[in-house]
Amino acid sequence: MKLIIGLGVILGLIAVLPAAEQVFAAGSEVGEYLDRKAAIWGLFYRLMIIAFTVGTVVSGLIVWLVLRFRESNPKAKPTSYEASGSW
Amino acid sequence: MVLELQKPRPIWQIMFSTHHTDVGLLYLITSLAFMFMGGALALLLRVELFSPGVQLIADSMTYNRIFTVHGTTLIFLFILPSASAFGNYLVPIMVRFKDMAYPKLNAVAFWMIPPAGALIWLGFADFTWYAYPTYSVVSAPGPAADMWIFGLKILGVSSILGSINFVVTIMKCKHPDLPLSKMPLLAWAYLTSSLITLVAVPTFAAALLMLLTDRLGASGFFNPAMGGDPIAYQHLFWFTFHPEVYILVIPAIGFMYEIFPRFSRKPIFSHGSGVAAFTLLTIVGFASWAHHMYATGMSFTEKTVFMVGTLAAVPASAMHTFNFLATMWGGRIKFATPIMWAVGGIALFFSAGAGGVVNSAMPLDFITHDSYWVVGHFHLFVMGTILFGTVGFVYYFFPYVTGRMYSEVLGKVHFILSFVGTVLVFFTQHILGLFGMPRRIYDYPAIPEWVQMNIIISIGAFIIGIGMAIFLWNLIWSSAKGKPADMDDPFGLGGKYYFPYQAKNPSH
Repeated sequence: MKLIIGLGVILGLIAVLPAAEQVFAAGSEVGEYLDRKAAIWGLFYRLMIIAFTVGTVVSGLIVWLVLRFRESNPKAKPTSYEASGSW
Repeated sequence: MVLELQKPRPIWQIMFSTHHTDVGLLYLITSLAFMFMGGALALLLRVELFSPGVQLIADSMTYNRIFTVHGTTLIFLFILPSASAFGNYLVPIMVRFKDMAYPKLNAVAFWMIPPAGALIWLGFADFTWYAYPTYSVVSAPGPAADMWIFGLKILGVSSILGSINFVVTIMKCKHPDLPLSKMPLLAWAYLTSSLITLVAVPTFAAALLMLLTDRLGASGFFNPAMGGDPIAYQHLFWFTFHPEVYILVIPAIGFMYEIFPRFSRKPIFSHGSGVAAFTLLTIVGFASWAHHMYATGMSFTEKTVFMVGTLAAVPASAMHTFNFLATMWGGRIKFATPIMWAVGGIALFFSAGAGGVVNSAMPLDFITHDSYWVVGHFHLFVMGTILFGTVGFVYYFFPYVTGRMYSEVLGKVHFILSFVGTVLVFFTQHILGLFGMPRRIYDYPAIPEWVQMNIIISIGAFIIGIGMAIFLWNLIWSSAKGKPADMDDPFGLGGKYYFPYQAKNPSH
């Protein structure tokens, strides 16, 4: 579980950092020519790459959880709470 | 739990009851009726946008009226009352109290909704559910616009009364043996969303009053010709309606917190992180309203503050998603209809959230602002997360209300059609926005990409419509003819639910 939490934190940082970088970079561009349209679309594509990567991981995890832990899976076994009858 | 329909009673006994389950039933039926009505309007819009030129709706004014009432109905007359429906049923039982704290006030809050709905539907205003000035002040035709304003005013008062009731019931009437730390997460969802309502909604109530007096010519708060500022309305509006997003979504997440552990046959992974995430969302919900207004000429510093405030919602949302997935992990999951909706809901919640991060990044907002991207993002959130959570909970709750089981096959067909339709409609709308199609237009030039994507979107909408027709049939048919449910364990999961249906509170 620690591995998953660590992975989640890293993926979260990957998602947030490019946006923060853009914010701080924008403030330091004094007198510099900037093709805003190209820069904005470039940022958009970078964010999309991150979003699709993280999305693939999360969606893949959801699909795997659904298949692995469905009750009809041959590997499925009763949870420890079922014996007590309450959860 | 609450077998209102098993023992037939005269309808007036339910209508004039102040018992929390009766009021909950009234909320539920009313909200579902408005869901089908608002959804039907969406289909009209999609028929019109199927291809360029006039298809069905003769003029832009009529189109504007339809999409205004569509949005207003589904937000204010479906999502909010449906959350109140389940809150009325469950909150008193969850906090182990005999009823809501103020039963009569509770009934009054409900009975404000039908007249408000009538005002909105009979007026059929045309200025979108935002009612932005200057159009809404200067040009929007009355009495439709004024009826809309009065309708929303009544709904705002209803929301505030309902929220006061939830907060007092939970904080003051909770059983002394039940600490907040042990209270079910759905009750926490109602507590936090009610607190947001109490802080956010009065602002919009004030804005509506100012809008009305502006329309009457008695003031000029938002009228530039009288020295007013239309942008001030946008600030007041979004100070209410960005937190409103959380008012809408938090109960839906609470529904998922009921469904996932129940069908995974194990407790929720982390109760504490669920509480923390709800609390965090309640706070950061107020730190992001102006991200809807980057294009209004705000300073760089203001935009940065609101961008960071918006991104602060990401960790809380991720905590919920992680909690759901970790609850499923190691479970033995029975994929009945309710959890299928919940799983679909978290997948779409993630997608909507990813789109939201793009919107909140201010440079990117200028690409997507007022384009179909925003329509896709907003609807993916409202339909993909909130409606999926709510409909899943309607299925989950169905046997407890009617004493009968719905058709599982029809429920699953409904889910599949809705999921496919939602992806087709709202993912495509994102792309359509990137291709430059603006929102709120009733016709468009025959640009090949726009035409193709609009056809895909309309087909997706019809698929959702077919699913909803199946849902309606399933609800009506199963209520009357469905198989009697095993009330101890309607879904065959084993074990007892933590608040058994025998806990029905006595009538007054």
